[in-house]
Amino acid sequence: MTDRIPVVIDPDLADLVPGFLNNRRRDVEKLRAQLEAGNFADIRMIGHSMKGAGGGYGFDPITDIGAAIERAALAADSATIEQGIAQLADYLSRIDVVTGA
Amino acid sequence: MEAAKASAGTVLLVDDDQDMLNLLSKWLQGADFVPLLASSGEDALRLVSSARPDMVVTDLFMEEMDGMTLVTRIHAENPLTPVIMLSGQARIPDAVKATHLGTSAFLTKPIAKEAFLAEINTHIRPRRPEGASAFGRNIIYRSDVMAELLEQAELVARGDVTVFINGETGTGKEVLARAIHDGSRRSGHAFVGVNCGAIPEQLLESELFGHEKGSFTGASNRHDGLFLAADGGTLFLDEIGDMPLGLQVKLLRVLQDFEVRPVGSVKSVPVNVRIISATHNDLESLVEKGEFREDLYYRLNVVPLKMPRRAERAEDIPLLLDHFLAVNATRAGVSRKRFAPDAVAYLAGAAWPGNIRQLINAVELCSTLYTGDIIPLAMAQRALRQQPVQFKTLKDAKAEFERNYLVSVLRISGGNVANAARIAGRNRTEFYKLLNQYDLDAASYREANGGQDDD
Repeated sequence: MTDRIPVVIDPDLADLVPGFLNNRRRDVEKLRAQLEAGNFADIRMIGHSMKGAGGGYGFDPITDIGAAIERAALAADSATIEQGIAQLADYLSRIDVVTGA
Repeated sequence: MEAAKASAGTVLLVDDDQDMLNLLSKWLQGADFVPLLASSGEDALRLVSSARPDMVVTDLFMEEMDGMTLVTRIHAENPLTPVIMLSGQARIPDAVKATHLGTSAFLTKPIAKEAFLAEINTHIRPRRPEGASAFGRNIIYRSDVMAELLEQAELVARGDVTVFINGETGTGKEVLARAIHDGSRRSGHAFVGVNCGAIPEQLLESELFGHEKGSFTGASNRHDGLFLAADGGTLFLDEIGDMPLGLQVKLLRVLQDFEVRPVGSVKSVPVNVRIISATHNDLESLVEKGEFREDLYYRLNVVPLKMPRRAERAEDIPLLLDHFLAVNATRAGVSRKRFAPDAVAYLAGAAWPGNIRQLINAVELCSTLYTGDIIPLAMAQRALRQQPVQFKTLKDAKAEFERNYLVSVLRISGGNVANAARIAGRNRTEFYKLLNQYDLDAASYREANGGQDDD
């Protein structure tokens, strides 16, 4: 699973995307800490935010992962949350952002 | 007018997720909107009060104040500010509650840029910026076609040229004429309107140019006429295409000489009026058929303005619906109703063959017959089905003519009922009955020192 994932983004959002992705990397750490603390309410909020904004920035998988984490947090399903965190970390490590024409 | 169209409007974005705020803000800027950002409901309320945005877009789930509470508090002070609600969950109860609270749209995240901007464009009502021209401030619009028309009209208003407005019945020709008058240097003087198609030829002549006492049967007093009433101001000749040929030549003479000669007088009186004329007819074809004088046509048609049909102003329909719902609520002393978003979309796409009259009737019908707060699509469809085309019934058309006729006769007779009845060929008892029927008071047509009834 080391293949790179090119993502073409809207040039109007080029200056915002690095900050957005940095925040998602921070989310990985936050989600891990909250899962360890069993704080499903905060996990749900993070998943909810990822779901809302990911696709808009051009990263549909972030929306999908966020939705799965949100659902799992509601069900207090730690295993699925852990799986979502791993998917997010993997996705973030493999994307190559390409600014569209 | 240019300044008013420079920015597409100010939109307040409310979300406690900074990434979401940044994203929506960027999309708005790309579409020429000015975004304002608030990360909480309290910040949003402060900005609504200080910056008065044209629209608010709020997230539903926020930690301190949620979107439902926010929209309630915004509408408590600013009931006409459109609010769009964004939610991460497509839950029907939330959408229903948001609609009942008066939100213009309930959208689910994630949302695509095109869909988001389409909703903004559908519901926003840009306010004129401070310092922008106040021309046409009473005209409700946001469509480009109206903006262009008003831009031309404002230029026309600054000068003193004769204006000709063409447009279907109910498109607002008189409203535009009044805006031109209000925006002109003549605004301190009278704006006088007359419907040339509603008055018989003999009465119209006296109505326009005045008459001397005793100039015809029933003319017991001198009457100045509308040209003199409008002296210094603007005379609006509506339905000029219906003016009889005999009067057209007299009107042409006034336009050439700037003098009127009252019926029965040998002296002409100088007048200084600006003429704005209007018709729903194709005046050129009337000229070709010999029913309208070519020389008068060219004299009137110095600056032609064309009123768009209501259906060409689909973007204005939501604003007009909002406006007339508010008018109805104020008049009835009840809380304001709203149309459901799908009802607004349906009405905005309707053909409106009866133009503004049909729209007003449809809003009144819905406001009256629907008892809930949010008028649903089915009610809007029913309202339009019941008013397929707003032709007046023969009875209503006759009544309108009769009332206009009585008003003219009263004006000409200076409120003298005996003379007015004589002109109308009725006895006084019958004439009084007619006045009662149309709620007309002869006394209000009596001029000082004249026109007393000879009862």
